[in-house]
Amino acid sequence: MKAISFENFSYAYPKSGVVLEKLCFEVEQGSFTAIVGPSGAGKTTFCLAAAGVVPHYFGGRTGGTVVVQGIQTMDSTMGELAKDVALVLEDYESQLVAMTVEDEVAFGLENAGVDRKLIPQMVRETLQLVGLSGREQCEVGGLSGGQKQRLALAGALVTKPDILILDEPASALDPAGTEELYSLLGKLNEQGMTILVVEHDIAQVLPYIDQLVLLMEGRIAVAGQPEAALRKMSEESLFQEVIPPLQELRFLLEKHGCRFGAWRCEADAVRELSAVLQEAGEVSRSA
Amino acid sequence: MKQLAPLTKLVFTVAVSIWAMLLTSLPGLGLLAVAQVVTLAVCGLLGRTYKGILSLTGFAVVLILVQYALGSELEAAIAGGLRMIDMATVFVILLATTKMQSLTTALVSQCRVPQEYAFMFTTALRFIPDFLAESKAVREAQACRGYTGKGGIVRRFTSYLALVGPLVLRAVSRSETMALSLELRGFGAGRRSFSTDVGLKFRDYCTLLGMIALTAGFTAGRIVYGW
Repeated sequence: MKAISFENFSYAYPKSGVVLEKLCFEVEQGSFTAIVGPSGAGKTTFCLAAAGVVPHYFGGRTGGTVVVQGIQTMDSTMGELAKDVALVLEDYESQLVAMTVEDEVAFGLENAGVDRKLIPQMVRETLQLVGLSGREQCEVGGLSGGQKQRLALAGALVTKPDILILDEPASALDPAGTEELYSLLGKLNEQGMTILVVEHDIAQVLPYIDQLVLLMEGRIAVAGQPEAALRKMSEESLFQEVIPPLQELRFLLEKHGCRFGAWRCEADAVRELSAVLQEAGEVSRSA
Repeated sequence: MKQLAPLTKLVFTVAVSIWAMLLTSLPGLGLLAVAQVVTLAVCGLLGRTYKGILSLTGFAVVLILVQYALGSELEAAIAGGLRMIDMATVFVILLATTKMQSLTTALVSQCRVPQEYAFMFTTALRFIPDFLAESKAVREAQACRGYTGKGGIVRRFTSYLALVGPLVLRAVSRSETMALSLELRGFGAGRRSFSTDVGLKFRDYCTLLGMIALTAGFTAGRIVYGW
């Protein structure tokens, strides 16, 4: 069973043009998928469709189906889907509804009817996971942007969903915070959680993802394993701005006969490029 | 006061309002107001709430003057002002000593208020600091574009629209996102549990009995002695 399956899915908001057009796409169980694309490509709507928000919440016109954990989103309610899918919205600040950090994280558990005695422990564990341990009694309004984003993530994680969807989850985080966040998502993915993330900085997610999707004008322009997808984006000059510079360099060098292994992070790239440069230096010295 | 269950404090709020209506003598109403201020002081909350109390007092003075100007007797006007202070101060006590989450839990699980309404109350309070911060941000952003709050009343009013517009739009957008977020997190989807324990303890029962006794006493005093 696929975690998420878009079958010829099209969608238009009320009084708007088509935002997603005939999407055919599958997310494997336990996979980590990154979605990239220019503004207005339909990335957020894609996330909302995977969580059943469109068309349930916004209405609008639809075609085709979205199946999440074997359930057609059209035949289910958002509340039912919430047991399997958690979504962290781009506007994370408005997603926070409680007065204190502890209450915010407990909110999802309360809605799920979890036994009161279990809630404090689950809240503590989740806050520890996102690095907000010890801030249980802090007022939500007093947190920084990055802390609020972590809190929104904690609110989504606490119910232990099978699928976690995040729309630009690192927009308010500093580089260290972003690295920590993706490292955490990587660990959760290793534990079996299916993760779908909208992110512009591919270099940050590259070490963890096993699928990269480029959305353009509501259609899937490129989808596949990260390296192959990036190569295709480079070759066909599709949304090249997001391709990490080191990957661009790699593709350029490969055109000149260099061969490299799979690069998942900058360290891989630096190691292999150093070896190539060293080899080139030796060749020029001997010549 | 902080130790008491939210329901006891809600009953206390109602009880004080009833006492304020039962009492007619100025010393009685004044004593009730003083007792509440003392309660705040004992709880260590006077420092946090004195500005609110002072504002209430100022408003009460205006109320007394207006009533007197409109032909009420001075004693009746002062009694009206004191009643207002008594009834409003008890809400200050309630909100200063009770966590909003606990209050919501008590309202839903013990008072059978629909959770949507109780939650609306909590959320409105949750967004006050955000709204204030946003208003400051909009003011600063508009100041960069030449906004100034100076000038005559008409000019100030028209220039204020430059702040109100973005603020209202942002508030609407926020409320929409929040409503969506609630649905996404399963709000109202099934049987809900509460992380806060709001059950009544021995001290709550004693306090409730005390309140019943006092209410009975004030009622008897009003009927028999005309207090």
